[in-house]
Amino acid sequence: MVPVRRQGLAGGGDVVADSGVAMAGARAPAADGPPPELVFHRVLHPLQMLRELWARRELVTVLTERDLRARYKQTKVGFAWALLTPFLLMVVFTVFFKRVADVRTGSVPYPLFSYVGLLAWTFFSGALSKGAVSITQNLTLLNKVYCPREVFPLASVSTAAVDSSIAVSILGVLFVIYRFPPAATSVWVPVLMLVQLAFTLGVTLLLAALVVYFRDIRQVLPMILQFGLFATPVGYGLEEMPRKWWGVYSALNPLVPVIDGYRRTVLLGEPPKIDLLVIGATSSVILLVVGYTVFKRLEAGFADVA
Amino acid sequence: MTAHRSEVTGRSAPVGTIAATQIWKRFRADPTRQSLRAKAGHVKRLAQGKGRRGWRWALRDVDFVVEPGESVGLVGINGSGKSTLLKILARVMYPYAGRFDVSGRVGALIEVRAGIHPELTGRENIHLYGTLLGLPRREVASRFDEIVEFAQLEEAIDRQVKFYSSGMQMRLGFGVAAFLEPHVLLVDEVLAVGDTAFQQRCIDRMRTMLTAGTTLVFVSHDLAAVEGISERVVWLHDGHVAGDGPARDVLSSYRGALEQVAAIAPTSGGPVQVVKAQVIAPGGGAVRTQERVEVVLALRASQQAAGRVCLGFSEGPASPIFLLRRDMHLSDDEITARCDIERLPLPRGRYYLWLGVFQARGELLPWQPVASFDVIGPDLDAGPAGIARLSPVHVAAHWDVGRT
Repeated sequence: MVPVRRQGLAGGGDVVADSGVAMAGARAPAADGPPPELVFHRVLHPLQMLRELWARRELVTVLTERDLRARYKQTKVGFAWALLTPFLLMVVFTVFFKRVADVRTGSVPYPLFSYVGLLAWTFFSGALSKGAVSITQNLTLLNKVYCPREVFPLASVSTAAVDSSIAVSILGVLFVIYRFPPAATSVWVPVLMLVQLAFTLGVTLLLAALVVYFRDIRQVLPMILQFGLFATPVGYGLEEMPRKWWGVYSALNPLVPVIDGYRRTVLLGEPPKIDLLVIGATSSVILLVVGYTVFKRLEAGFADVA
Repeated sequence: MTAHRSEVTGRSAPVGTIAATQIWKRFRADPTRQSLRAKAGHVKRLAQGKGRRGWRWALRDVDFVVEPGESVGLVGINGSGKSTLLKILARVMYPYAGRFDVSGRVGALIEVRAGIHPELTGRENIHLYGTLLGLPRREVASRFDEIVEFAQLEEAIDRQVKFYSSGMQMRLGFGVAAFLEPHVLLVDEVLAVGDTAFQQRCIDRMRTMLTAGTTLVFVSHDLAAVEGISERVVWLHDGHVAGDGPARDVLSSYRGALEQVAAIAPTSGGPVQVVKAQVIAPGGGAVRTQERVEVVLALRASQQAAGRVCLGFSEGPASPIFLLRRDMHLSDDEITARCDIERLPLPRGRYYLWLGVFQARGELLPWQPVASFDVIGPDLDAGPAGIARLSPVHVAAHWDVGRT
């Protein structure tokens, strides 16, 4: 550290200030800026970042709890919203995709087929729409107390995860109604969930940081999500796409192999398409690393633009 | 925990140390460009090689070093960089240049509603804020009752905070920040909201924390409160340190500078003009506590008028400590009035003389400060200094103590 210069402190009571408006003081600072060697560079060590985040993991839990509680208090139906969103979408999809577009689902009942896709999609879109504004909405909090800033988007993702686990209950009901038990290959589900989580976290972190600087994204995001819902095989199957595009499609949108994988493993009793899953996982991990890095780089300026 | 390894410098310092040296911070001169369109326009202009975005320095080469357990007041006019410095100390904002290190847990109370979530109840807020400060849940729980008692929120603790009055929110905010045992407490002009009794409780609490070794940085425009709680004051002006030293000395230069800025010039153009207004010691020399003082006035009116002349004495732009009144006839001739105060009851400090001329229907001269003067007198620092500094008048009294 630079040797500390203190003025007029301990004894004497000699004050540096001269009373005058110009107040040149003992050393007049250069008006044009600090010497370049003093410029503050924030050093980011990935391990240290993660260690700090781990030390504050309780904060993510508390923030998640806060989001859930606040929502529970503000709305009449409370947690039922977590069920209603995917359920209503399923009803709409069943009417339109099945009746109008006649999507091929093999032996699987369409509601079950689309609900599996919708579960994965609502997690992603829920996490993203809450996470993208998590920094801007918590600015008052962020401007007072230090904490690793990524806890806010992380809490949004974990809120969405809670919602999704509530919504899974409808899947159970559908299994019973259609007498269609989940297949044994469902053991693949945790792997698929990991890929989905990496992708969701990456996009959420990236957007949360960018929204602070480009507020317009907030306005565009619902539209992009709407578009994404149809650009992802949620209401239809991967088979509706030309096979030669599957690879590129999976790289650009890792939700493609994930949703396809859920259907294959849970409903059809097949293993997931490994090649596509590897492509999707690779691009998810890259996105997560990029997203987290960008977030940590931009984090330093959050308080300045706020 | 006795030492803390800084994330920023990787060095160890005793908990509660603030070491910020050569801090520079700048902001965009036009912080409105947040839409894509404006940014695109900016990029285009940059590409064409014209119009660089301007920067404004908020802090310029500021040194701010505080030892554990020290209490430092931070004063300066609006926009002098006080809040920016606090934000940097709270690690909420990063400096552009400089070295800084704050060790230990920082409890910041930068605004009234620091970290309060309106949708949650008071109870939930206490837990949330505690976790934000990095305290484990059970530690927050163990201090919960103390906070509620201090904030006097027993009845309202399970009510949503959005239904609290602003005073209640402030009490909750202060209680949480002050009772979760931070190593460094940053307080930014928040006491203004509470009532007097609560303000006093806050000040008492801060003193208790100081005794316990908490480092305190206290920002306020209430210079008497600053003087009451901080032994050292740092004065920021236009982003740099204009003074740093014992509270009394820095505050007196600060008051002196304030006065020049707000140059005391009686308003003219009304029906009554102030030709002269002075506070002097009749024998010449300095104005002293408990000695004779004369107020000399010279007034002129644009027409014949009768009015009540009021003189007030205040510390800064505050309410007057005492008031003197006299009905007078004014005319276009200059009238001189002398008011003799036998024993001036003001302790050492800098005071303002206020003047106004009033009639039953309105005013002839609006109430305004017309002069300032210094009083020399017995130091009130003896005894319980905190209380003595806050008491505004000095009353001469005779004590008679004996067995009954």
